Amino acid sequence: MDSCVKIINEWDIVAARQLGRNVARDLGFGTVDQARITTAISELARNIYLYAEQGEVCIEKTESGGKIGLVIISEDQGPGISDLRKVMEDGFSTSGGLGAGLPGVKRLVDEFHIESNPGEGTLIKAIKWLR
Amino acid sequence: MRKLIFNYVQTHKGEILNDWIEQMRQQADERTFTAMSPQMFTKTSSEFIELLISNFTETEREFQAKLTGFAEKIVKFGWPLNVVTLGLQTFRQIVSDGMRKDGLVDRDNFMEFVTEFDHWMFPLNDAIIASYTNTWERTVSLQKIALQELSAPLIPVFEKISVMPLIGTIDTERAKLIMENLLNGVVTHRSEVVLIDITGVPVVDTMVAHHIIQAADAVRLVGAKCMLVGIRPEIAQTIVTLGINLDQIVTTSTLKKGIEEALEMTERKIIEVEEKR
Amino acid sequence: MRIPILKLHDTLLISIQWELDDQTALQFQEDLLHKIHETSARGVVIDLTSIDFIDSFIAKVLGDVISMSELMGAKVMITGIQPAVAITLIELGIRLEDVLTALDLEKGLEKLQRELED
Ligand SMILES: Nc1ncnc2c1ncn2[C@@H]1O[C@H](COP(=O)(O)OP(=O)(O)OP(=O)(O)O)[C@@H](O)[C@H]1O
Ligand SMILES: [Mg+2]
Repeated sequence: MDSCVKIINEWDIVAARQLGRNVARDLGFGTVDQARITTAISELARNIYLYAEQGEVCIEKTESGGKIGLVIISEDQGPGISDLRKVMEDGFSTSGGLGAGLPGVKRLVDEFHIESNPGEGTLIKAIKWLR
Repeated sequence: MRKLIFNYVQTHKGEILNDWIEQMRQQADERTFTAMSPQMFTKTSSEFIELLISNFTETEREFQAKLTGFAEKIVKFGWPLNVVTLGLQTFRQIVSDGMRKDGLVDRDNFMEFVTEFDHWMFPLNDAIIASYTNTWERTVSLQKIALQELSAPLIPVFEKISVMPLIGTIDTERAKLIMENLLNGVVTHRSEVVLIDITGVPVVDTMVAHHIIQAADAVRLVGAKCMLVGIRPEIAQTIVTLGINLDQIVTTSTLKKGIEEALEMTERKIIEVEEKR
Repeated sequence: MRIPILKLHDTLLISIQWELDDQTALQFQEDLLHKIHETSARGVVIDLTSIDFIDSFIAKVLGDVISMSELMGAKVMITGIQPAVAITLIELGIRLEDVLTALDLEKGLEKLQRELED
């Protein structure tokens, strides 16, 4: 199974969330969680397209302590983020967006990790556990 | 030595059982046994002793199966784990005393006796504790599911009007479940107004209020209106003291008032029918 | 691909039937505003029954369309938002305040008519 999508143009955002939706459905997530996962992927993929120009979104299955989860990894070698605290605030946007993306994704998933260095790129890992 | 212990236990089964029951009655907590009739206690005790004996004789698989069945039964009766371990100690004491009296165990082979006895007591001990934990874990997870199922029903009371009574403490996990039930219910019952009744919610803190506001927002998005009813005086006090803003939501003190208002919103009202003479 | 816009008396009806990509969403914004101008429609109903998720971008386009349409004198009613979509929007932090909503197209048309009469 091809579980990564390269994000280069707007259509790749659609491809990434379709992949995520399919994996989520196959793993047995309900409709609300499918919507949460699809939306989170869409936000991360669009951020790559908007701010880093290109990168990759990968979807993986994970298991821990008898639980099954879906991992979303978003990686780019773009400009990076200098103030991580600021971008995690609701309403902060450098592009005239709603600024709901990153803080929203954090609320949609169960685990959220972000690493970013200015000039090097951004790596985000988000996990949703199957209830 | 193993054979010696086995033979002794096998031939003195009746005595051991009687002694055991006698000693257990003296030692264990009153509460443990009041839940059971004396006959039931005797029956369960002899099952327990049988189980201990079969530990010598049967294959591990058979024993394991018996053990699990017994542990489940004991959990259901409410025998605490410490009574069971006390039972094991008592059993050992009785056998040891008895064998000493009969001259089967003396100073020379006592160490051998202890070693052999422990040899099969340890795994038994472990097995019993494991069975207990398993049974408990299963019970807890079943209870959790039962609680979830029961936690948030949406009741269509009139055409276009539904009520969701909330009872008990609301945590994040439950809040999510409530939200899903609420919205799915609104859509399937085609409700235009839904009343969330918090009469049975003991505390409304900022977290609970936040979840209620979110639920009301989501209800609005699917195309219905949300009302918060059953606000007790102390809840009103905490809400205002905490500075929680519920301005966006229609609130009433009682479910009755709420339903009247909901009927008004959907352009209806309840009228009294004059009795014909 | 373009989203068809139907006209019914003084109301425009749009039912979005497939997943929106960014381009289609922006194209729709433009088409709708032109159509309002062309027909002087006073009401718009957008039905989202078939949509299974809305991210912050589409939410912004939707919010913008609503404000722009109101500027041009047309009231917008959103119908058929699925429970999963509503929950996700709220968790994202998008409240779509002041947006008129209804359970389905039929109720939406009724409600809109009442709004226009007031
Ligand atoms: N992959 C990235 N590389 C560099 N900067 C990023 C990246 N992702 C996000 N950012 C920065 O973080 C800010 C906040 O992102 P967020 O997704 O929360 O909001 P937004 O994209 O501006 O608006 P919205 O997602 O609501 O449409 C962005 O404006 C951008 O400056
Ligand atoms: Mg974004």
